[in-house]
Amino acid sequence: MRLDIRELGQFNHLASQGAQRAAASLSQLTGVKMNVEVTDVSLVTDSVLQETFGGRNFVGVSVGLEGGLSGETVLAFERERAETLQKLLLNKAGASQALAQSSVSELGNIMIGGFIDGWANHLHEAINMTPPTYLEAKGTRILPRETLHAASGKGVFLFESRLEAMNVDLDFSIYMLPEYQEFVDLLSRSPSEPAIPANKLRAFDGLAKRGAHRAAEQIGMMTGMETSVNISRIRFVPLTGVPAQVGDETMVGVVFKLTGMPSGYLVILFDERSAKSVASAMMPGGMQEDGIGAMTEGAVKELGNIMTSGFIDGWANVLGTSIEHSPPNYVHDMGSSIMSPVVSKLGQRQDYAFVIDSAIEMGGQQGHCDIYALPDERELAKTLSALPSNA
Amino acid sequence: MAKRVLIADDSEFMRNLLREILAGDFEIVGEAENGVEAVNLYEQEDPDIVMMDIVMPIRSGIEATDEITTDDPNAKIIMCTSVGQEEKMKEAIKAGASGYITKPFQKPNVLDAINDVVPA
Ligand SMILES: [Mg+2]
Repeated sequence: MRLDIRELGQFNHLASQGAQRAAASLSQLTGVKMNVEVTDVSLVTDSVLQETFGGRNFVGVSVGLEGGLSGETVLAFERERAETLQKLLLNKAGASQALAQSSVSELGNIMIGGFIDGWANHLHEAINMTPPTYLEAKGTRILPRETLHAASGKGVFLFESRLEAMNVDLDFSIYMLPEYQEFVDLLSRSPSEPAIPANKLRAFDGLAKRGAHRAAEQIGMMTGMETSVNISRIRFVPLTGVPAQVGDETMVGVVFKLTGMPSGYLVILFDERSAKSVASAMMPGGMQEDGIGAMTEGAVKELGNIMTSGFIDGWANVLGTSIEHSPPNYVHDMGSSIMSPVVSKLGQRQDYAFVIDSAIEMGGQQGHCDIYALPDERELAKTLSALPSNA
Repeated sequence: MAKRVLIADDSEFMRNLLREILAGDFEIVGEAENGVEAVNLYEQEDPDIVMMDIVMPIRSGIEATDEITTDDPNAKIIMCTSVGQEEKMKEAIKAGASGYITKPFQKPNVLDAINDVVPA
Protein backbone atom coordinates (compact mmCIF):
# COMPACT_ATOMS: atom_id res chain seq x y z
CA MET A 1 0.00 0.00 0.00
CA ARG A 2 1.64 3.23 -1.15
CA LEU A 3 0.50 6.51 0.34
CA ASP A 4 0.19 9.24 -2.21
CA ILE A 5 1.78 12.36 -0.73
CA ARG A 6 -0.17 14.67 -3.00
CA GLU A 7 -3.44 13.09 -1.82
CA LEU A 8 -2.30 13.58 1.77
CA GLY A 9 -1.78 17.24 0.88
CA GLN A 10 -5.30 17.33 -0.54
CA PHE A 11 -6.74 15.98 2.72
CA ASN A 12 -4.71 18.47 4.69
CA HIS A 13 -6.16 21.21 2.49
CA LEU A 14 -9.70 19.91 3.06
CA ALA A 15 -9.11 19.89 6.80
CA SER A 16 -7.82 23.41 6.66
CA GLN A 17 -10.86 24.59 4.68
CA GLY A 18 -13.10 22.68 7.09
CA ALA A 19 -11.49 24.46 10.00
CA GLN A 20 -12.18 27.81 8.30
CA ARG A 21 -15.84 26.89 7.97
CA ALA A 22 -15.94 25.73 11.58
CA ALA A 23 -14.35 29.01 12.66
CA ALA A 24 -16.94 30.98 10.71
CA SER A 25 -19.74 29.04 12.44
CA LEU A 26 -18.26 29.78 15.83
CA SER A 27 -17.97 33.46 14.97
CA GLN A 28 -21.57 33.58 13.88
CA LEU A 29 -22.79 31.95 17.08
CA THR A 30 -20.65 33.90 19.52
CA GLY A 31 -19.65 37.10 17.75
CA VAL A 32 -15.98 36.30 18.43
CA LYS A 33 -13.71 36.52 15.43
CA MET A 34 -11.56 33.41 14.97
CA ASN A 35 -8.39 32.68 13.01
CA VAL A 36 -7.30 29.24 11.91
CA GLU A 37 -3.63 29.21 12.86
CA VAL A 38 -2.49 26.06 11.17
CA THR A 39 -3.66 22.62 10.17
CA ASP A 40 -1.28 19.73 10.25
CA VAL A 41 -1.49 15.99 10.03
CA SER A 42 0.83 13.65 11.81
CA LEU A 43 1.11 9.94 12.24
CA VAL A 44 1.25 9.62 15.98
CA THR A 45 1.81 6.89 18.49
CA ASP A 46 0.46 6.73 22.02
CA SER A 47 3.55 8.49 23.42
CA VAL A 48 2.96 11.53 21.17
CA LEU A 49 -0.69 11.60 22.25
CA GLN A 50 0.53 11.64 25.86
CA GLU A 51 2.83 14.56 25.08
CA THR A 52 0.08 16.42 23.23
CA PHE A 53 -2.80 15.97 25.67
CA GLY A 54 -1.12 14.96 28.92
CA GLY A 55 -1.90 16.73 32.16
CA ARG A 56 -4.48 19.15 30.78
CA ASN A 57 -8.14 19.30 31.71
CA PHE A 58 -10.45 19.36 28.74
CA VAL A 59 -14.03 19.97 27.91
CA GLY A 60 -14.81 18.46 24.58
CA VAL A 61 -17.37 17.35 22.10
CA SER A 62 -16.84 14.17 20.17
CA VAL A 63 -18.65 13.06 17.04
CA GLY A 64 -18.25 9.67 15.40
CA LEU A 65 -18.08 9.41 11.62
CA GLU A 66 -19.26 6.62 9.34
CA GLY A 67 -19.86 6.19 5.65
CA GLY A 68 -17.45 7.88 3.25
CA LEU A 69 -15.01 8.14 6.11
CA SER A 70 -14.99 6.44 9.50
CA GLY A 71 -13.31 7.80 12.56
CA GLU A 72 -13.72 10.34 15.29
CA THR A 73 -13.69 14.07 15.43
CA VAL A 74 -13.05 15.80 18.72
CA LEU A 75 -13.28 19.42 19.59
CA ALA A 76 -11.18 20.04 22.68
CA PHE A 77 -11.21 23.15 24.85
CA GLU A 78 -9.17 23.61 27.95
CA ARG A 79 -11.61 23.85 30.81
CA GLU A 80 -11.43 27.60 31.53
CA ARG A 81 -11.93 28.35 27.86
CA ALA A 82 -15.03 26.19 27.72
CA GLU A 83 -16.48 28.32 30.51
CA THR A 84 -15.77 31.47 28.50
CA LEU A 85 -17.48 29.85 25.55
CA GLN A 86 -20.59 28.89 27.50
CA LYS A 87 -20.94 32.48 28.68
CA LEU A 88 -20.65 33.74 25.13
CA LEU A 89 -23.21 31.27 23.82
CA LEU A 90 -25.82 31.70 26.50
CA ASN A 91 -25.26 35.32 27.22
CA LYS A 92 -27.59 35.31 30.18
CA ALA A 93 -27.29 34.54 33.83
CA GLY A 94 -29.02 31.62 35.45
CA ALA A 95 -28.94 29.24 32.50
CA SER A 96 -28.99 25.66 33.73
CA GLN A 97 -25.94 23.41 33.65
CA ALA A 98 -27.77 21.16 31.19
CA LEU A 99 -28.40 24.03 28.81
CA ALA A 100 -24.78 25.14 29.10
CA GLN A 101 -23.60 21.66 28.12
CA SER A 102 -26.18 21.47 25.38
CA SER A 103 -24.89 24.74 23.94
CA VAL A 104 -21.30 23.46 23.82
CA SER A 105 -22.42 20.12 22.32
CA GLU A 106 -24.43 21.80 19.62
CA LEU A 107 -21.63 24.20 18.84
CA GLY A 108 -19.34 21.17 18.46
CA ASN A 109 -21.91 19.47 16.27
CA ILE A 110 -22.24 22.50 14.00
CA MET A 111 -18.50 23.07 13.77
CA ILE A 112 -17.73 19.43 13.05
CA GLY A 113 -20.53 19.36 10.45
CA GLY A 114 -18.84 22.24 8.66
CA PHE A 115 -15.45 20.63 9.12
CA ILE A 116 -16.33 17.39 7.31
CA ASP A 117 -18.50 18.79 4.49
CA GLY A 118 -15.52 19.31 2.21
CA TRP A 119 -14.26 15.78 2.85
CA ALA A 120 -17.60 14.27 1.90
CA ASN A 121 -17.83 16.35 -1.25
CA HIS A 122 -14.28 15.36 -2.20
CA LEU A 123 -15.10 11.67 -1.66
CA HIS A 124 -18.51 11.98 -3.43
CA GLU A 125 -19.99 10.05 -0.59
CA ALA A 126 -22.01 11.07 2.45
CA ILE A 127 -20.31 11.01 5.84
CA ASN A 128 -22.75 10.20 8.62
CA MET A 129 -22.26 11.80 12.00
CA THR A 130 -23.34 10.42 15.35
CA PRO A 131 -25.03 12.86 17.72
CA PRO A 132 -22.42 14.83 19.67
CA THR A 133 -21.15 13.53 23.01
CA TYR A 134 -20.23 16.09 25.65
CA LEU A 135 -17.04 15.17 27.51
CA GLU A 136 -15.04 16.39 30.45
CA ALA A 137 -11.77 14.56 30.77
CA LYS A 138 -8.16 14.79 31.73
CA GLY A 139 -5.31 14.22 29.28
CA THR A 140 -5.69 11.63 26.54
CA ARG A 141 -9.00 10.45 27.99
CA ILE A 142 -10.63 13.18 25.92
CA LEU A 143 -9.98 10.80 22.99
CA PRO A 144 -12.01 7.66 22.32
CA ARG A 145 -10.63 4.44 23.77
CA GLU A 146 -10.37 2.80 20.31
CA THR A 147 -8.17 5.67 19.17
CA LEU A 148 -5.79 5.19 22.07
CA HIS A 149 -5.71 1.48 21.37
CA ALA A 150 -4.97 2.06 17.68
CA ALA A 151 -2.25 4.55 18.57
CA SER A 152 -0.39 1.94 20.57
CA GLY A 153 -0.49 -0.38 17.55
CA LYS A 154 0.03 0.97 14.08
CA GLY A 155 -0.39 4.58 15.12
CA VAL A 156 -3.14 7.01 14.14
CA PHE A 157 -3.30 9.90 11.76
CA LEU A 158 -4.04 13.01 13.75
CA PHE A 159 -5.31 16.08 11.94
CA GLU A 160 -5.10 19.11 14.16
CA SER A 161 -6.44 22.56 13.37
CA ARG A 162 -5.66 25.19 15.95
CA LEU A 163 -8.11 28.06 16.17
CA GLU A 164 -7.21 31.32 17.80
CA ALA A 165 -9.67 33.98 18.91
CA MET A 166 -9.04 37.67 18.56
CA ASN A 167 -9.42 39.65 21.81
CA VAL A 168 -10.79 36.72 23.83
CA ASP A 169 -8.97 33.79 25.39
CA LEU A 170 -10.78 31.11 23.43
CA ASP A 171 -8.05 29.23 21.58
CA PHE A 172 -8.72 25.56 20.99
CA SER A 173 -8.20 22.69 18.58
CA ILE A 174 -10.25 20.48 16.31
CA TYR A 175 -8.84 16.97 16.06
CA MET A 176 -9.82 14.56 13.36
CA LEU A 177 -8.77 10.94 13.71
CA PRO A 178 -9.72 8.85 10.70
CA GLU A 179 -9.78 5.09 11.07
CA TYR A 180 -6.22 4.01 10.18
CA GLN A 181 -6.73 1.30 7.57
CA GLU A 182 -9.54 3.10 5.80
CA PHE A 183 -7.51 6.28 5.58
CA VAL A 184 -4.50 4.38 4.29
CA ASP A 185 -6.80 2.88 1.63
CA LEU A 186 -8.02 6.35 0.66
CA LEU A 187 -4.46 7.58 0.30
CA SER A 188 -3.52 4.70 -1.95
CA ARG A 189 -6.58 4.74 -4.23
CA SER A 190 -4.87 6.24 -7.24
CA PRO A 191 -1.17 5.84 -6.71
CA SER A 192 1.11 8.51 -8.11
CA GLU A 193 4.58 9.62 -7.11
CA PRO A 194 5.85 10.70 -4.67
CA ALA A 195 4.47 7.97 -2.46
CA ILE A 196 5.56 6.32 0.78
CA PRO A 197 4.78 2.67 1.50
CA ALA A 198 2.39 2.52 4.47
CA ASN A 199 4.53 -0.10 6.19
CA LYS A 200 7.50 2.31 6.24
CA LEU A 201 5.68 4.95 8.26
CA ARG A 202 6.72 3.49 11.59
CA ALA A 203 10.31 3.37 10.39
CA PHE A 204 10.05 7.04 9.47
CA ASP A 205 8.71 7.84 12.91
CA GLY A 206 11.56 5.89 14.50
CA LEU A 207 14.00 7.81 12.35
CA ALA A 208 12.70 11.16 13.57
CA LYS A 209 13.00 10.06 17.19
CA ARG A 210 16.48 8.65 16.69
CA GLY A 211 17.74 11.92 15.23
CA ALA A 212 16.32 13.92 18.13
CA HIS A 213 17.83 11.60 20.73
CA ARG A 214 21.24 11.71 19.09
CA ALA A 215 21.11 15.52 19.02
CA ALA A 216 20.01 15.67 22.66
CA GLU A 217 22.90 13.42 23.67
CA GLN A 218 25.30 15.79 21.96
CA ILE A 219 23.97 18.76 23.95
CA GLY A 220 24.44 16.72 27.10
CA MET A 221 28.02 15.88 26.24
CA MET A 222 28.96 19.44 25.29
CA THR A 223 27.29 21.20 28.22
CA GLY A 224 27.17 18.63 30.98
CA MET A 225 23.44 19.33 31.29
CA GLU A 226 20.95 16.57 31.51
CA THR A 227 18.79 16.48 28.42
CA SER A 228 15.60 14.79 27.39
CA VAL A 229 13.58 14.73 24.21
CA ASN A 230 10.23 16.13 25.16
CA ILE A 231 8.38 15.92 21.89
CA SER A 232 9.34 14.38 18.63
CA ARG A 233 6.80 14.10 15.91
CA ILE A 234 6.42 14.24 12.19
CA ARG A 235 3.94 16.79 10.96
CA PHE A 236 2.77 17.10 7.41
CA VAL A 237 2.05 20.78 6.84
CA PRO A 238 1.62 23.28 4.05
CA LEU A 239 4.99 25.01 3.79
CA THR A 240 3.36 28.42 4.01
CA GLY A 241 2.13 27.55 7.51
CA VAL A 242 5.55 26.68 8.91
CA PRO A 243 6.79 30.18 9.85
CA ALA A 244 3.64 30.97 11.83
CA GLN A 245 3.91 27.64 13.59
CA VAL A 246 7.43 28.48 14.78
CA GLY A 247 6.12 31.76 16.17
CA ASP A 248 7.27 35.30 16.75
CA GLU A 249 9.58 34.84 19.70
CA THR A 250 13.18 35.99 19.08
CA MET A 251 15.37 32.94 18.64
CA VAL A 252 19.05 32.20 18.37
CA GLY A 253 20.12 29.32 16.21
CA VAL A 254 21.68 27.75 13.18
CA VAL A 255 20.40 26.69 9.80
CA PHE A 256 22.05 23.86 7.87
CA LYS A 257 21.52 22.81 4.32
CA LEU A 258 21.57 19.05 3.90
CA THR A 259 22.80 17.37 0.75
CA GLY A 260 22.61 13.70 -0.16
CA MET A 261 19.62 11.43 0.24
CA PRO A 262 17.44 13.05 1.31
CA SER A 263 18.49 16.66 0.95
CA GLY A 264 16.73 19.42 2.83
CA TYR A 265 17.20 21.73 5.79
CA LEU A 266 17.85 21.35 9.47
CA VAL A 267 17.14 24.27 11.77
CA ILE A 268 18.12 24.34 15.44
CA LEU A 269 16.61 27.11 17.55
CA PHE A 270 17.08 28.24 21.14
CA ASP A 271 15.20 31.02 22.86
CA GLU A 272 17.64 33.73 23.97
CA ARG A 273 17.81 32.62 27.58
CA SER A 274 18.49 29.01 26.61
CA ALA A 275 21.16 30.09 24.12
CA LYS A 276 22.95 31.92 26.91
CA SER A 277 22.75 28.98 29.28
CA VAL A 278 24.15 26.48 26.78
CA ALA A 279 26.88 28.90 25.73
CA SER A 280 27.79 29.53 29.33
CA ALA A 281 27.84 25.81 30.11
CA MET A 282 30.19 25.21 27.18
CA MET A 283 32.78 27.76 28.38
CA PRO A 284 35.09 26.44 31.06
CA GLY A 285 35.09 29.79 32.86
CA GLY A 286 31.43 30.65 32.24
CA MET A 287 30.23 33.43 29.97
CA GLN A 288 31.71 36.93 30.06
CA GLU A 289 29.17 38.53 27.75
CA ASP A 290 26.16 40.79 28.14
CA GLY A 291 23.33 39.95 25.83
CA ILE A 292 23.79 37.76 22.77
CA GLY A 293 27.18 38.44 21.17
CA ALA A 294 30.09 36.76 19.46
CA MET A 295 30.72 34.29 22.27
CA THR A 296 27.17 32.99 22.23
CA GLU A 297 27.29 32.86 18.45
CA GLY A 298 30.47 30.79 18.48
CA ALA A 299 29.09 28.38 21.06
CA VAL A 300 25.74 27.92 19.31
CA LYS A 301 27.43 27.31 15.95
CA GLU A 302 29.75 24.74 17.43
CA LEU A 303 26.98 22.99 19.30
CA GLY A 304 24.78 23.13 16.18
CA ASN A 305 27.47 21.45 14.11
CA ILE A 306 27.77 18.58 16.51
CA MET A 307 24.01 18.19 17.00
CA THR A 308 23.44 18.15 13.27
CA SER A 309 26.08 15.52 12.71
CA GLY A 310 24.46 13.39 15.39
CA PHE A 311 21.04 13.92 13.88
CA ILE A 312 21.90 13.02 10.31
CA ASP A 313 24.30 10.18 11.16
CA GLY A 314 21.39 8.38 12.74
CA TRP A 315 19.41 8.88 9.57
CA ALA A 316 22.08 7.91 7.12
CA ASN A 317 22.78 4.69 9.03
CA VAL A 318 19.16 3.58 8.96
CA LEU A 319 18.52 4.71 5.40
CA GLY A 320 21.79 3.32 4.11
CA THR A 321 22.53 6.59 2.33
CA SER A 322 24.99 9.36 2.84
CA ILE A 323 23.94 12.83 3.99
CA GLU A 324 26.23 15.82 4.36
CA HIS A 325 25.59 19.17 5.97
CA SER A 326 26.72 22.69 5.14
CA PRO A 327 28.61 24.91 7.58
CA PRO A 328 26.25 26.54 10.10
CA ASN A 329 24.41 29.65 9.07
CA TYR A 330 23.96 31.60 12.32
CA VAL A 331 20.59 33.32 12.87
CA HIS A 332 19.27 35.65 15.56
CA ASP A 333 15.79 36.83 14.66
CA MET A 334 12.09 36.17 15.09
CA GLY A 335 11.41 32.42 14.69
CA SER A 336 9.05 33.03 11.79
CA SER A 337 11.61 35.23 9.99
CA ILE A 338 14.25 32.53 10.36
CA MET A 339 11.97 29.92 8.80
CA SER A 340 10.68 32.05 5.91
CA PRO A 341 13.73 31.79 3.62
CA VAL A 342 14.09 28.05 4.33
CA VAL A 343 10.47 27.50 3.43
CA SER A 344 10.67 29.56 0.27
CA LYS A 345 13.68 27.58 -0.99
CA LEU A 346 11.99 24.27 -0.32
CA GLY A 347 8.77 25.69 -1.74
CA GLN A 348 10.24 25.84 -5.21
CA ARG A 349 9.84 22.05 -5.40
CA GLN A 350 6.91 21.26 -3.13
CA ASP A 351 3.86 22.80 -1.43
CA TYR A 352 3.78 20.58 1.64
CA ALA A 353 6.52 19.22 3.80
CA PHE A 354 7.11 16.59 6.42
CA VAL A 355 8.49 18.60 9.27
CA ILE A 356 10.26 16.61 11.92
CA ASP A 357 9.67 18.66 14.97
CA SER A 358 11.54 17.88 18.19
CA ALA A 359 11.75 19.69 21.49
CA ILE A 360 14.68 19.05 23.80
CA GLU A 361 14.58 20.06 27.45
CA MET A 362 17.77 20.77 29.32
CA GLY A 363 18.01 19.73 32.96
CA GLY A 364 16.59 21.82 35.76
CA GLN A 365 14.64 24.07 33.41
CA GLN A 366 17.91 25.54 32.16
CA GLY A 367 16.77 25.65 28.62
CA HIS A 368 14.86 24.43 25.69
CA CYS A 369 15.79 23.70 22.10
CA ASP A 370 13.67 23.07 19.02
CA ILE A 371 14.90 21.17 16.00
CA TYR A 372 13.09 21.30 12.70
CA ALA A 373 14.13 18.96 9.91
CA LEU A 374 12.57 19.58 6.51
CA PRO A 375 13.58 16.94 3.97
CA ASP A 376 12.86 17.15 0.28
CA GLU A 377 9.66 15.09 0.00
CA ARG A 378 10.47 13.30 -3.26
CA GLU A 379 13.88 12.20 -2.05
CA LEU A 380 12.46 11.22 1.31
CA ALA A 381 9.77 9.12 -0.34
CA LYS A 382 12.36 7.46 -2.55
CA THR A 383 14.70 6.66 0.33
CA LEU A 384 11.94 5.33 2.58
CA SER A 385 10.59 3.20 -0.26
CA ALA A 386 14.00 1.64 -0.71
CA LEU A 387 14.20 0.58 2.95
CA PRO A 388 13.96 -3.15 3.52
CA SER A 389 10.57 -4.10 4.97
CA ASN A 390 11.98 -5.16 8.31
CA ALA A 391 13.68 -1.79 8.91
CA MET B 1 -53.93 32.50 11.48
CA ALA B 2 -50.39 31.76 12.56
CA LYS B 3 -48.77 28.77 10.91
CA ARG B 4 -48.24 25.79 13.20
CA VAL B 5 -44.65 24.60 13.56
CA LEU B 6 -43.12 21.42 14.97
CA ILE B 7 -39.47 21.64 16.05
CA ALA B 8 -37.34 18.49 16.03
CA ASP B 9 -33.78 18.79 17.30
CA ASP B 10 -31.86 16.79 19.91
CA SER B 11 -30.13 19.93 21.17
CA GLU B 12 -31.97 21.89 23.85
CA PHE B 13 -29.85 24.88 22.93
CA MET B 14 -30.99 24.71 19.31
CA ARG B 15 -34.68 24.21 20.23
CA ASN B 16 -34.50 27.30 22.43
CA LEU B 17 -32.89 29.27 19.63
CA LEU B 18 -35.54 28.21 17.09
CA ARG B 19 -38.32 28.96 19.55
CA GLU B 20 -36.95 32.47 20.08
CA ILE B 21 -36.68 33.03 16.33
CA LEU B 22 -40.19 31.76 15.55
CA ALA B 23 -42.06 33.15 18.58
CA GLY B 24 -44.57 35.82 17.64
CA ASP B 25 -44.93 34.90 13.96
CA PHE B 26 -45.69 31.20 14.43
CA GLU B 27 -47.39 28.84 16.80
CA ILE B 28 -45.03 26.16 18.16
CA VAL B 29 -47.11 23.02 18.50
CA GLY B 30 -44.44 20.69 19.80
CA GLU B 31 -40.78 19.95 20.31
CA ALA B 32 -39.19 16.58 19.58
CA GLU B 33 -35.77 15.42 20.76
CA ASN B 34 -35.38 12.56 18.30
CA GLY B 35 -36.82 11.14 15.09
CA VAL B 36 -39.32 8.85 16.81
CA GLU B 37 -40.81 11.70 18.85
CA ALA B 38 -40.94 13.79 15.69
CA VAL B 39 -43.02 11.17 13.86
CA ASN B 40 -45.38 10.76 16.83
CA LEU B 41 -45.83 14.49 17.34
CA TYR B 42 -46.44 14.97 13.63
CA GLU B 43 -49.31 12.46 13.67
CA GLN B 44 -50.74 14.01 16.82
CA GLU B 45 -50.47 17.70 15.85
CA ASP B 46 -50.56 17.72 12.04
CA PRO B 47 -48.39 20.86 11.85
CA ASP B 48 -48.03 23.08 8.76
CA ILE B 49 -44.22 22.97 8.91
CA VAL B 50 -41.58 20.80 10.55
CA MET B 51 -38.12 22.17 11.30
CA MET B 52 -36.14 18.91 11.28
CA ASP B 53 -32.57 18.39 12.49
CA ILE B 54 -30.65 15.62 10.65
CA VAL B 55 -28.30 14.24 13.28
CA MET B 56 -30.46 13.00 16.16
CA PRO B 57 -30.29 9.88 18.33
CA ILE B 58 -32.69 6.89 18.07
CA ARG B 59 -33.90 7.88 14.61
CA SER B 60 -32.27 10.45 12.35
CA GLY B 61 -34.09 13.40 10.81
CA ILE B 62 -33.79 11.82 7.37
CA GLU B 63 -35.44 8.58 8.49
CA ALA B 64 -38.18 10.53 10.29
CA THR B 65 -38.75 12.64 7.18
CA ASP B 66 -39.06 9.51 5.06
CA GLU B 67 -41.62 8.07 7.45
CA ILE B 68 -43.68 11.26 7.74
CA THR B 69 -43.83 11.93 3.99
CA THR B 70 -44.71 8.29 3.25
CA ASP B 71 -47.84 8.77 5.37
CA ASP B 72 -48.46 12.36 4.33
CA PRO B 73 -46.93 13.22 0.94
CA ASN B 74 -47.92 16.86 1.45
CA ALA B 75 -45.90 17.28 4.66
CA LYS B 76 -43.65 20.35 4.58
CA ILE B 77 -40.35 19.58 6.18
CA ILE B 78 -37.35 21.90 6.34
CA MET B 79 -34.08 20.24 7.25
CA CYS B 80 -32.01 22.26 9.71
CA THR B 81 -28.59 20.85 9.51
CA SER B 82 -24.98 21.41 10.43
CA VAL B 83 -24.06 19.25 7.48
CA GLY B 84 -23.88 20.86 4.04
CA GLN B 85 -22.65 17.76 2.18
CA GLU B 86 -24.08 17.40 -1.31
CA GLU B 87 -24.75 13.68 -0.84
CA LYS B 88 -26.57 14.30 2.45
CA MET B 89 -28.78 16.91 0.81
CA LYS B 90 -29.66 14.46 -1.97
CA GLU B 91 -30.66 11.92 0.70
CA ALA B 92 -32.82 14.51 2.44
CA ILE B 93 -34.60 15.51 -0.75
CA LYS B 94 -35.12 11.86 -1.64
CA ALA B 95 -36.66 11.30 1.78
CA GLY B 96 -39.15 14.07 1.00
CA ALA B 97 -37.70 17.26 2.50
CA SER B 98 -39.01 20.47 0.94
CA GLY B 99 -36.08 22.69 1.84
CA TYR B 100 -33.10 23.08 4.09
CA ILE B 101 -31.10 25.61 6.07
CA THR B 102 -27.58 25.21 7.34
CA LYS B 103 -26.64 25.86 10.96
CA PRO B 104 -25.68 28.28 12.31
CA PHE B 105 -28.55 30.33 10.96
CA GLN B 106 -30.07 33.69 11.73
CA LYS B 107 -33.69 34.75 11.83
CA PRO B 108 -33.90 35.96 8.19
CA ASN B 109 -32.56 32.60 6.88
CA VAL B 110 -35.19 30.71 8.83
CA LEU B 111 -38.05 32.98 7.75
CA ASP B 112 -36.95 32.88 4.11
CA ALA B 113 -36.77 29.10 4.12
CA ILE B 114 -40.24 28.80 5.64
CA ASN B 115 -41.65 31.35 3.23
CA ASP B 116 -40.25 29.42 0.25
CA VAL B 117 -41.98 26.25 1.39
CA VAL B 118 -45.28 27.59 2.74
CA PRO B 119 -45.87 31.11 1.37
CA ALA B 120 -47.78 33.31 3.81
MG1 LIG C 1 -28.54 17.34 16.26
